[in-house]
Amino acid sequence: MLEIKNLHAAVDGKEILKGLSLTVNAGEVHAIMGPNGSGKSTLSYVLAGRAGYEITGGSIAYKGEDINALPPEARAAKGVFLAMQYPVEIPGVTTLTFLKTALNAQRRARGEKDLDAMTVLKLVRGKAAELRVSEDMLKRALNVGFSGGEKKRLEILQMSLFEPSLAILDETDSGLDIDALRLVAEGVNALRSPDRAMLVITHYQRLLEYIVPDRIHVLSGGRIIKEGGKELALELEAKGYEQIIKDAA
Amino acid sequence: MAAVETREKVSQLGEKYKYGFVTDIEMERAPKGLSEDTVRYISAKKAEPEWMLEWRLGAFRRWVEMHEPDWARVHYPEIDYQNAYYYAAPKNTPQKQSLDEVDPKLLETYNKLGIPLSEQMMLAGVAVDAVFDSVSVATTFKEKLNEAGVIFCPISEAIRDYPDLVKKYLGTVVPVTDNFFATLNSAVFSDGTFVYVPKGVRCPMELSTYFRINASETGQFERTLIVADEGAYVSYLEGCTAPKRDENQLHAAVVELIALDGAEIKYSTVQNWYPGDEGGKGGIYNFVTKRGDCRGHGSKISWTQVETGSAITWKYPSCILRGDNSVGEFYSIAIANNYQQADTGTKMIHLGKNTRSRIISKGISAGKAQNTYRGLVSVHPKAASARNYTQCDSLLIGGSCGAHTVPYIESRNPTARIEHEATTSKIADDQLFYCLQRGIGQEEAVALIVNGFCKEVLQQLPMEFAVEAQKLVGISLEGSVG
Amino acid sequence: MTALRAKAAEDFRARGVPHRRVEAWKYSDLKSVIDADQVVSAGAVQWTIEAEGVEMIGAGDGGSAGAMGEASVAFATAGFGLRVAKAGKAKVAFATPGQARVRIVLEPGATLDYIEIAEGDGFQNIGMDVSVGKGAVFTHVRIARKGSGVRIEDVNANVAEDGIYHLHAAHFGGELSRLELKIALNGKNASAHLSGVGVLDAMHADVTTHVIHAKGGTQSTQLFKYVAAGKARAVYQGKITVAEGADGSDSRQTAKALLLDERAEADLKPELEIFADDVKCAHGAAVGDLEADSLFYLRARGIPEDEARGLLIRAFLHEAFDRVRDDLRDALWTAVEEAL
Repeated sequence: MLEIKNLHAAVDGKEILKGLSLTVNAGEVHAIMGPNGSGKSTLSYVLAGRAGYEITGGSIAYKGEDINALPPEARAAKGVFLAMQYPVEIPGVTTLTFLKTALNAQRRARGEKDLDAMTVLKLVRGKAAELRVSEDMLKRALNVGFSGGEKKRLEILQMSLFEPSLAILDETDSGLDIDALRLVAEGVNALRSPDRAMLVITHYQRLLEYIVPDRIHVLSGGRIIKEGGKELALELEAKGYEQIIKDAA
Repeated sequence: MAAVETREKVSQLGEKYKYGFVTDIEMERAPKGLSEDTVRYISAKKAEPEWMLEWRLGAFRRWVEMHEPDWARVHYPEIDYQNAYYYAAPKNTPQKQSLDEVDPKLLETYNKLGIPLSEQMMLAGVAVDAVFDSVSVATTFKEKLNEAGVIFCPISEAIRDYPDLVKKYLGTVVPVTDNFFATLNSAVFSDGTFVYVPKGVRCPMELSTYFRINASETGQFERTLIVADEGAYVSYLEGCTAPKRDENQLHAAVVELIALDGAEIKYSTVQNWYPGDEGGKGGIYNFVTKRGDCRGHGSKISWTQVETGSAITWKYPSCILRGDNSVGEFYSIAIANNYQQADTGTKMIHLGKNTRSRIISKGISAGKAQNTYRGLVSVHPKAASARNYTQCDSLLIGGSCGAHTVPYIESRNPTARIEHEATTSKIADDQLFYCLQRGIGQEEAVALIVNGFCKEVLQQLPMEFAVEAQKLVGISLEGSVG
Repeated sequence: MTALRAKAAEDFRARGVPHRRVEAWKYSDLKSVIDADQVVSAGAVQWTIEAEGVEMIGAGDGGSAGAMGEASVAFATAGFGLRVAKAGKAKVAFATPGQARVRIVLEPGATLDYIEIAEGDGFQNIGMDVSVGKGAVFTHVRIARKGSGVRIEDVNANVAEDGIYHLHAAHFGGELSRLELKIALNGKNASAHLSGVGVLDAMHADVTTHVIHAKGGTQSTQLFKYVAAGKARAVYQGKITVAEGADGSDSRQTAKALLLDERAEADLKPELEIFADDVKCAHGAAVGDLEADSLFYLRARGIPEDEARGLLIRAFLHEAFDRVRDDLRDALWTAVEEAL
């Protein structure tokens, strides 16, 4: 599904990713862990195609295709979803309007027909209940006045709606308490599928107790310096990043 | 960029007209220039009574001694008032037989705006009887209005058929000498609308629909007078979202609204003028004087406008809150792109007791445009317990445009409460990226975010137009980001 | 007479005394209370000054914010200047009619507390030119006591990178009194924080400011509060200009007026002129009366009406002094108490 080879990427002229390689197959859940400044968010933005994040070396193949030249919306239409660490507010645009606009934009890019408002509403309602996204949240302006937990739940609702092939979750656990975390994790787990690959980016091991990964990669200084199975999370918890990084050097 | 395409298509359309109908058009024009004779010519063409001619001449004589105002933040090359035609007969719109003869790109714009097919035909100049029986459409409207007792006709007709009503109200809200352009208008106006809604009558339909059918025939110096008698209600919509090209550069309209006791007038404007070429040349200069007099106790007047496109806009729809407990509202979206200059705003004059005014202004600037809000909230010494709330928000797209806010707050009564807030913002990178990552393309994302910014104002428009106005907002800003 | 002064004199003679048809003087019709000759022939104002940590220099010829500043450049026959290299304090009182030029220069990293008292009747016109060097801090306290004449102060300031201009003002009005301030924030992180109160009993006071964010990353805040009683006129015109490319500028501005009398008037014009898009600008203005609810609450708790009004008015004004250093606040507040 996703094959990253020796990726170098720069932001504002400064190189952040310095030779990152990673392969994720369909059906797999991989975790990327690392201290602050290691390049975790940069990786997610590069995969999503955000302007200002430049690939200076290496390659990214998504479903066998080089996506470097594709703008973010084209990647989205091809099934790439990035659940953001800080979901943005858009005053005056209701959540439902946003969901309908995005869904139809993706469908159009794929040559599918638009869905009308009623159909979208039914679709959304079906998924909203499990994630405890209220009708009220759907009617309010996107993310305006939403709590941290509500914003993250809405991100997962969108993931459920757009049915991506590659889902990247950027620090989805940040700012959440245990209960909110559990709810969000349940939502994510419900979306696991043999056709879907997931990249869970997190700082803390706690999230990975709920979303158990197949493989964990430790990112430091823009490169992956250690890999392992789910036990690696506990090792990190016990030793701390500094130690693990020192050991790997 | 669709805005550029539209202009191209519109200008090509203009060219097509030139070839076929030059002779006809020339025959119907008054000689160039502006003099007392021009005024007499116009009055004679309209077969006006003596009192109307005198009124016009009085205005003309005053105009000759006035000077053009120069305080607005707009710059334009000097207008040569003598080098223009002040009267042209209702245009013989060149007739096509079907939409197939219309430029497909123009149709694409109409489609983007969601304009119904039948109205597209009207706008493109397809022969009306090839579409449907327009006479019967007009007749149905007229019947409904007659039943309700509502008078809705061109102002020239009203001058002839309802002289008492016109004499009673014309020039009582915008006096002849109010300002340079209003005085000019008073001398040479030739088109316009007159509406009178009798006591207690709620006008049975949006007076927008009917007007749209004639949207392609706006005059240069329009004069509109709307009177809502005690307890009456009327909602009127002027303009349309389709791009309007006009030979006449200068538009100096005057709109007077009068609401008596307990009456309400809702006046909405959606304008998409031809903005001129990329360098700003050739665009429309839109100088309008609009004023509403809340004459009666408990009366209400709301102005809602979505303006985009004209090279220069200079308009300040205002409310005189004369009657006790009267309410004035102003909701505006002004979009300036490329080299456009907009200087618009409102004046709320609180005279009576317990009056209230509300101003929500959304200005969007892009390209190298300059967008200015200029507002006045004035509370007179006797205006006890007056209340005003003003919110002015500016959205800047790109680093080369300007957004300016110039509010004047003048209070002379200690029990009045006035609140004014203004904010400035841009479309944040991460807002845009969020939309892109969810699959929404750049243009659509900008339109979405900007419509969200303007939501409060869009909600004030009659429903059919709110939808079109949203699309218009998107189209006006195409190409502004990235 | 230098060329600069000659030019200023020429301009003044051509334009005359500002009057209400001049946009910037719309609410302060100077021409109706003085004439050009008075301006040209006004003598030198007399001042007293106590200063430490400063070097006295000449008044110089430069810089004005508006028309009357220019007039002082043209016609003032007296003045002084202060240069501060490290830390200085100065207390100046202008107690007679007349004109003067004042020049203030803060070397990089310097600080100056400048306390200025303007009092007396007659026509007084002070033109100031202030230069705040890199990282320097200029704290300007101005107390303009109630007077029966025409009192104008025109300040033209340039603030360099990391420099700060603090203004704390207490104005008590005159037949026509005006503080006109033009502050250019010329380097990254330069800032201006202006606050003041006007307590007017049948007097006129006008604060007209123009803060120019010439470079990005600059900040400005303004908070002005007026209480107007009797036939008073409170005027605030605050213009903020953010130049093209001055991204990252942050500007907040609030002006509020309380009218206590039917004959009082408030004219507020907070103006924004924005040419850059990546900025945070907000302004607000409000005019009103004392909250009926608050008044009732206090009275219901046994506080007589006059005292209750006094309490609420003080509370209203106090906010304007939140940012003032404690030692300076006393001087300002004492003046306010006297007026109330």
